[in-house]
Amino acid sequence: MEFLQQLVNGLSLGALYALIAVGYTVVYGIVQLINFAHGEIFMIGGFGALAVWLLVPGESLSIWMLPIMLIGGMLAAVGVALLTERVAYRPLRNAPRLAPLITAIGVSIFLQEFVRLFFGRIPGFPDSKRAIPFPQIEYVTGEAFNIGGVTIQRAALFTLVALAICAGFLYVFVNKTRLGRAMQATSQDPDTARLMGINVDKIIMVAFALGAALAAVAGLAHGLRYTNIDFKMGFLAGLKAFTAAVLGGIGNINGAVVGGLVLGVVESMATFIPGQFGGSAWKDVWAFVLLILVLVFRPQGLLGARVVDRA
Amino acid sequence: MINIRRLVTPELQQRYNRQGRILGLVGGVLLIIAPFLPWAYSSDALDNMTVLGYPSPLQFFGLALGVIISAFLVLQQALTQRQKKRVRVGWVPGAKAAATGALIYIALILLSIAAELGGLVNIVYGGWIALVGALLAFIGTRLIPAGRTPTLAAATAPAPLEILAIAVMMAAALFAAAFALNHDDAGSFVTFIAFVGAVVAVMIRSGVMGWLSAVSQRYRKVLIFSAFVVAFMFPFTQGGSDANMSIATQVMIFAATAMGLNIVVGLAGLLDLGYIAFLGAGAFVAAILSRSAFSTVGFHPPFIVVVLISGTVAATLGLIIGSPTLRVSGDYLAIVTLAFGEIFRISMNNLDGTDGPLLTRGSNGIPAIPDLVLFGFNFAQRHELLGIPLGRFSNYYFLLLLVLGLIILVFTRLNNSRIGRGWVAIREDEKAAEAMGVNVFGLKLFAFAGGAFLAGVAGSVKAHQDISVTPDQYVFLESAFLLAAIVLGGMGTVLGVLVGATLLKLMPEKLRFVNEYRLLIFGLLLVLMMRFRPEGLIPNQRRQLEFHEEDEELAERISEEIAETGTVKGAT
Repeated sequence: MEFLQQLVNGLSLGALYALIAVGYTVVYGIVQLINFAHGEIFMIGGFGALAVWLLVPGESLSIWMLPIMLIGGMLAAVGVALLTERVAYRPLRNAPRLAPLITAIGVSIFLQEFVRLFFGRIPGFPDSKRAIPFPQIEYVTGEAFNIGGVTIQRAALFTLVALAICAGFLYVFVNKTRLGRAMQATSQDPDTARLMGINVDKIIMVAFALGAALAAVAGLAHGLRYTNIDFKMGFLAGLKAFTAAVLGGIGNINGAVVGGLVLGVVESMATFIPGQFGGSAWKDVWAFVLLILVLVFRPQGLLGARVVDRA
Repeated sequence: MINIRRLVTPELQQRYNRQGRILGLVGGVLLIIAPFLPWAYSSDALDNMTVLGYPSPLQFFGLALGVIISAFLVLQQALTQRQKKRVRVGWVPGAKAAATGALIYIALILLSIAAELGGLVNIVYGGWIALVGALLAFIGTRLIPAGRTPTLAAATAPAPLEILAIAVMMAAALFAAAFALNHDDAGSFVTFIAFVGAVVAVMIRSGVMGWLSAVSQRYRKVLIFSAFVVAFMFPFTQGGSDANMSIATQVMIFAATAMGLNIVVGLAGLLDLGYIAFLGAGAFVAAILSRSAFSTVGFHPPFIVVVLISGTVAATLGLIIGSPTLRVSGDYLAIVTLAFGEIFRISMNNLDGTDGPLLTRGSNGIPAIPDLVLFGFNFAQRHELLGIPLGRFSNYYFLLLLVLGLIILVFTRLNNSRIGRGWVAIREDEKAAEAMGVNVFGLKLFAFAGGAFLAGVAGSVKAHQDISVTPDQYVFLESAFLLAAIVLGGMGTVLGVLVGATLLKLMPEKLRFVNEYRLLIFGLLLVLMMRFRPEGLIPNQRRQLEFHEEDEELAERISEEIAETGTVKGAT
């Protein structure tokens, strides 16, 4: 029973990682850039959703606020992601590999600080230097379900359902639409794709926007699940999501989803490690140990077709 | 800059050359006169700028820039009549740099006066005259064609003169450091840094810097010796006060660590985002093995042994992290080292006896680490040398100077060896290097573990100097700061990284008012540096070319310079 409980916890945690990991994988697949700032995009998604909720008068907790918040979070996240792509990454497209990575670190720190310093200055907004309580929307939060002794938080269920919907949408988008196929082509060979009349710049922007939109879903889910958000939440979540992307095989969208779920389960199962090194204090360590082990034994990831060294 | 270059076309420069000269000269003379006039109504802003006829130090620096502008313009006219082909001094580029610098410098002074006294009305006519002078000089010098690149680097002077030049340069550096540290208000500090920047820009543009670096190449030993003499002299300028020495030791530790990381990132091109963990590992090992009452093991070897153990532990961690990840692409290394940094921080927090074995006492860390006693020399005591008292921090400063010297020595020796050339080859093209028979994996692992060893050594000293070691000192942001110091100064250079580390550590200490925005500015700085000057403030030329592969002009200029002078500027 304890095992089932941890499995459920792990899957819902993994769903969060999976939603963020898709952003890493899509961008990496096309421009071979580890968008270090993607964790911050996730954070901004959460803050965007919160901002919209604060702006709508009445402090309503009705379920109808949820889509509005989601759209607000997506707009914020996609806007910031496109802006960073245009301003910071695009000028460095042909620079040595070190340059965009360092830029990404700079963008990440900048975005974190920007939210910390300026979000709270907007009239009526709470101080953003510490954790802000996230509105607990009805139906998706509240009393947990109890199925045969296994407790499932409503927000956890929401995350899983959100992942399922997003994964379905992603599958259709990537495989059935012109834009999605253009994205695949660009990922396989940008030069040839350009010769085939694909606007590579546009595809890169689509990749950033797609990742950001999913990260915003994750940001909203995070707020509901942990009942508050703070400006630092993107760092660790981003790192974990990247681990998930590598675990599934970076560049592979299905892999990111699988990797996220596996990572979440592994992290939850770490409580079963006997002795002092089990327990929740060490779960992050085990997640990162998993990353290192994957790189040793299966650098292409669980589902990866892409050889890591090609990067 | 780019806009100005587009605005002022060569044709325009040809046509208004003469007018430009006159304007520039008038501006320069105005800048010379202005410091003798009062600039501010009250002496509360910056230093005392209210006196007529007696320039304050900061006004005097404005005067110096005016002299440079006027003298360069006059000398250029006077000297280029006698065409000495072999040695060209960049008079005009130098004057341009001086005028740009003067404009920024004067504007900053006026802004600080306005900010500190509350409004532009507090600026007296002298200040406005200086601003007009700087503007005229700026516009004037822009109208003069730049001429060919300076080749001053090829010039030679009698040996004593060249050695004297090195000594003067070092003395100026000592003066600048002492002046900057002794001015506590942010306005003076910022304007002074602007002045130093202007002077350095003039030296680079006019070719003096090239000459100095060529001379430094010829007299390496003199340069290194005098640099250490100057660094050694610094505590004596403080008159026994420990306030600045405490900052100075922080700068030293930061610089030593950055120099270690410079081997990994700058030479071998491996992006290590968890480097601070190796410093932390060294510090924790030293703390645990020290005679602190809170130490958790019963083994307390002498400090020399502790240093070696700290370094070895850090290097071993480096091997454990490096061996799996160095086989795959560099991006992965960046993320894995980042993850390793997190593993380190969490582990140090957890090894507190409840969540794990008792080793580090968790988030409280290990306090009360005793001061060092080396060969009977007690670091806690004040000592007197030549009648000047030297406090606790001065003692650590001298030790850290030794550590930094050691790391720089390792850096330069490796850089000029077969190993260093292997690293450069790997950095530029790993596949080609491998095809040429370079042991890619071995060399990468060596750089990674060697860098970790040096950080461990620095950490063992840091533990004693800080008295306590806690996990929250070794977080990702610190690693990012180290990386920024290297990027800012110039990857793979000694001087650049020293300058970068000093600037990054000194700025927050002196600019308390930006403390809140420190990280915001810092993030922005990383992005802007990568966008506009990825090679750093003081670049290594080979590196500069790597970052500007398509810049044919730059490639031509550098190859021309190498052909004429036979040296690569800033090669080490």
